[in-house]
Amino acid sequence: MSITLASDVGGTFTDVVLIGADGRVEVAKTLTTPDDPTEGLLRGVREVLATSGTAPSEVGRFVHATTLATNVILERTGVPVAFVTTEGFRSMLALGRQARVEEERYDLAYVQPEPPVPLTHTFAVPERIAANGEVLRPLDEGAADRVAAEIAALGVAAVAICLLHSYLNPAHEDRLAEIIAARLPAGTPVVASSSVWPELGEYERATTTLMSAYVGPVMASYLERLGGRLRGLGITAPVHVMESAGGVLPAALAASRAVYTIESGPAAGVIAAARQGARRGLADLISFDMGGTTAKAGLVRGGRPGITHEFQVGGKGSYGGRRPGTGVPIKIPAIDLAEVGSGGGSIAWVDGGTLRVGPRSAGADPGPACYGRGGTLPTVTDADLVLGYLDPDGFGEFRLSPERARDAIAEHVAGPLGADVTEAAAAIHDIANAQMGAAVHVVTVRRGIDPRGFTLVALGGAAPTHAVRLAERFGIARVLVPPRAGVGSAVGLLHADLAIERARTFLAPVATLVSCSASRDALGELADVFDGLERAALADLLAPDAPGEAAVERSVGIRFIGQAHAFTIELPSGPLTPGTVQRAADEFYKRYNESYGIDLRDPAEVTTARVRAVLPSGSRDVPRAEPDPDAGPPGTRRIWLDGAFHDVPVLARSACRPGGEVHGPCIVTEPQCSLLVPPGWRGGVDDHGALLLEGGA
Amino acid sequence: MTLSEADLTAEILRNALCVAAEEAGIVVVRSAYSAFIVEGADAAAAILDVRGRLIAHSMSTALIQCASLRSALPFVLKAYPADTMAPGDVFVLNDVYQGGIHANDLLVFRPVFVDGTPAYFTGTLIHVADLSGLSAGGMASDATDVFLEGLQLPPVRIATADGLVDDLVRVLAANSRTPDRLVGDLRALIAGANVAARRLEEIIDAYTPDGLARGVASYLAHTEARMREGLAALPAGTFRGEYRLDDGHRIAVAVTCDGDGGVVVDFDGTDEQVPLPVNSGFSQTHGGVMYAIRCFVDPELPMNEGCFAPVDVRLPRGTLVHCTPPFPGGGRFGTVAAAEEAIFAALTGAAPGDGRGGVAASGILQAFSISGVRRPWLHMAFDLGGTGARHDSDGADATGALFGGGRNIVPQAEPVEARLPVRIEEVSLIPDSGGAGRTRGGLGTRTVIRMLEDARVDTRGDRLLRPPPGAAGGAPGRAGGYYRERADGTREPLGTKATRQPLAAGEALVVETSGGGGHGYPAERSPEAAARDRADGKTT
Repeated sequence: MSITLASDVGGTFTDVVLIGADGRVEVAKTLTTPDDPTEGLLRGVREVLATSGTAPSEVGRFVHATTLATNVILERTGVPVAFVTTEGFRSMLALGRQARVEEERYDLAYVQPEPPVPLTHTFAVPERIAANGEVLRPLDEGAADRVAAEIAALGVAAVAICLLHSYLNPAHEDRLAEIIAARLPAGTPVVASSSVWPELGEYERATTTLMSAYVGPVMASYLERLGGRLRGLGITAPVHVMESAGGVLPAALAASRAVYTIESGPAAGVIAAARQGARRGLADLISFDMGGTTAKAGLVRGGRPGITHEFQVGGKGSYGGRRPGTGVPIKIPAIDLAEVGSGGGSIAWVDGGTLRVGPRSAGADPGPACYGRGGTLPTVTDADLVLGYLDPDGFGEFRLSPERARDAIAEHVAGPLGADVTEAAAAIHDIANAQMGAAVHVVTVRRGIDPRGFTLVALGGAAPTHAVRLAERFGIARVLVPPRAGVGSAVGLLHADLAIERARTFLAPVATLVSCSASRDALGELADVFDGLERAALADLLAPDAPGEAAVERSVGIRFIGQAHAFTIELPSGPLTPGTVQRAADEFYKRYNESYGIDLRDPAEVTTARVRAVLPSGSRDVPRAEPDPDAGPPGTRRIWLDGAFHDVPVLARSACRPGGEVHGPCIVTEPQCSLLVPPGWRGGVDDHGALLLEGGA
Repeated sequence: MTLSEADLTAEILRNALCVAAEEAGIVVVRSAYSAFIVEGADAAAAILDVRGRLIAHSMSTALIQCASLRSALPFVLKAYPADTMAPGDVFVLNDVYQGGIHANDLLVFRPVFVDGTPAYFTGTLIHVADLSGLSAGGMASDATDVFLEGLQLPPVRIATADGLVDDLVRVLAANSRTPDRLVGDLRALIAGANVAARRLEEIIDAYTPDGLARGVASYLAHTEARMREGLAALPAGTFRGEYRLDDGHRIAVAVTCDGDGGVVVDFDGTDEQVPLPVNSGFSQTHGGVMYAIRCFVDPELPMNEGCFAPVDVRLPRGTLVHCTPPFPGGGRFGTVAAAEEAIFAALTGAAPGDGRGGVAASGILQAFSISGVRRPWLHMAFDLGGTGARHDSDGADATGALFGGGRNIVPQAEPVEARLPVRIEEVSLIPDSGGAGRTRGGLGTRTVIRMLEDARVDTRGDRLLRPPPGAAGGAPGRAGGYYRERADGTREPLGTKATRQPLAAGEALVVETSGGGGHGYPAERSPEAAARDRADGKTT
């Protein structure tokens, strides 16, 4: 296998990992450069190429995770977009499908969220397709052209189109897109809903399309810049971008269908945790990914990360922002996780006598006070340094200054509170843990799931410093710290396969698909839909000529006729026959009975055809950490534990040999992170250098 | 800072109870047939104990439905004492005088046994497709007594460990215009109750019966303490409010706060019940009261018995807010919303100088049903009015369900058209429908539904003849209404409580909801806000 580079751009740090043909791994952690993230990224790339002695031309694949899409939507920094729909439905996005959930329902001062596109940028054209796909009213091309002229006058950078029933008949959307594109500067994306996610349900299809248009140009120009800079370095390998459900996409597709990458960054951590756990026979995991700016928790049960098809960007509610009726719904499948806007860079401050941490972050620039890069406000990292949990000399590319950290805490926290600097630092550390706890809480306790049977997997630069204390909060007795945990998400990227999901609404009673005589038409139509989806998916993966290498999973949605919610049932590979459909229907009956306790054999219908194409391309093995034969003997450091400073051993991670053990209290340091093992915890080192800590209550 | 083991256990338990109710609601929605439910995700589910105390409910549950489940359980236990119940039993009712709502809202309960006796109940509730009565879908606004609203069900056993009680199911099916859907909906309700019961049994296994009982007791006590804390912050005294329905009838309320966490809400002085379905069953008014009161305490409080306990609700029998046999209660939401508005009026007057200067009224839920003439099909839905403006913010557009929820329960056009012989031609905000004011009322909507086959229409709305008033100098919202649009485009009004009005193929039903009232003098509206309204087309 050739050389793969993976990079994960976070809010504070950019992680770059290189895995060689021999499985050897080099890592670099650089400060993210928010104005142009490719800057910091390239620095990391040059660093790993140099340390590994790799020539740029040897790189065979470049895998990338980025939070760009999410940030663009949350911060509303996408390009100006116009939205066009069927006449009579101009209010579609403004009306939305908002639900006043939980506490909002009792809020007399409830303020409606702003629509994702202002009404001034929303248009309607005369046309109508019926629910069976027939044209009821042809597209009024004159009116369409007038709308196109109005849109052109607005100077938008992209256009989203969602016409009624276009999932059945995209002709009007396609023609309208042509008419609009003709009025706009060449290359302006005009995105039709039938090309993004052709499923029934106009509002969610519209928001999914809209978000693709909104984020697409930002993503495209970013990836173009990245590709150019990589080529400038001599790297001509294809660029793959993490998608929300844990696969990767070719860069061109990530740009044209940016909405697939909404959870790109966070998904990598959960995939990495699942992979790390699987290698050790651990199937129930909580991934805990804490960087400089945010922390994410995801749940892996039975070895599988949860996937949701009902994802809301900026959503609310106590189920991790997944409550229908909040935020902007996106139909693209995504890994289910919870995120809190709090990390190592979160700023501690005093608000009316109360200590608060975040949500503001020092980010990479100016960074925590201890970085000495101009930051003067105290952060969680500063507190961790004051408490002795971090090594002033062993952190990434620069030395940390305990003096600056202490000064910042003294001035902004301890002083105003009238507290001792160390106590203030301990309070900041504890509050950060509580905030991390909120993310774990959402994916477990809030769902009635007892976290105590799970293993916490620590990933990200700040996670090892906080993970064990976090585990203690929940009575979790096992913490897995993979080698190179500080760049754990980027390591996860190395393993991601190229994958894409495509779906289309296809409504037909099962009876018309399984009877021997009358079935030919409907069954043939379904087979055609699958063929089309499969071709499109393989083309997406740039593998139209090598279908043999890609695995295509086909499934159908099936429900009882008259109900609204379908089960997804996998189909076997091979030709579609009345028998395969009948077996899928039988499987549906079985699962319906298992889920609801109703043994029903009423007539059922197929609702959706769905394919997921996967092109195996990831590294197969988990990289191992080779122990460093020259690692020095353990040192000692004074660290704050349970109300007093204590001298504890400080071990280098590279000195931990397979089969070795560590006993808390101690600190285990790596170049990218620092693991705090509190009293009462002990851990074993496995043959890949992963530490499995056990203890707690 | 570390959570104690006991705290964590208690919190997991509380959430597990809420999740059990949530799961029951999801199961009902996913397995039901009534389009009203499946497209709108409008199902209620709750967990109660044998003393009738509400422990948890699903998040999508409207409070009036939740209150119905809570109010009805004691009547089930009266008809079937706990010691006569057997594992696997499931009970159903719809009697408005026993905590129900009206014929079409079926309540299902399943006991959960501890040491051989029922200790807890799981309950589910949805509006089923059809259960007899004057109009398909159960919305006949000319039902002069409860028997014309549909088949009456006191608490009866609908299933045992052996399965459905077929004799009764056959009677129910025989009384429905859509028997298959009715039975499907009934199965869904039972499935939801069963799933929650199974979860509750798992919780009992994990926590022991005593552990669960202790956890529930502390949960309810904790909620009650916080509720009382919130209510104690209301100024002591008696405050009065009133609101009039379209037909002129008056809902009057006196809210007495003792300043120590106790509140009495007394509807003495409310007009007498009428022989039309505008009355409200006691459970519905109670739910509305709880909604209104909850708007004045910490919105993050969980909704359980702890919230009900400090609020003494007095509903004079035989009035609009507490109908008695044989007066019908199906169209209660206008009355419930009026009761809520009366409480808002009372309590915003209760805090002089708080700067709010009263609450402008909201456009509310406007229901309608369309049914086939030549073959049985049924579309039931509702639209929502604009909410009243607050002293510091414009009202919200088209979300005026005064018991939570929102437009997520309004079905979309594509699924409806894929299912039924109608075409939806327009769903839009109505410009200028929000009451003018320093802050503007929320906008109402217009929905145009074209019939592809001959159909009949029932409507059920209020605040259409007396549009939602503004406050502190603000103008009322624009009155909505229901209309028939002829094939030639002419429009004629249908009644605000019309029944079985014919709409031929090619004609359309137009539903317009009322805008919310404005707050403060319109001349004081900021020029920026006014300009934005014009740019957005919210005003012309």
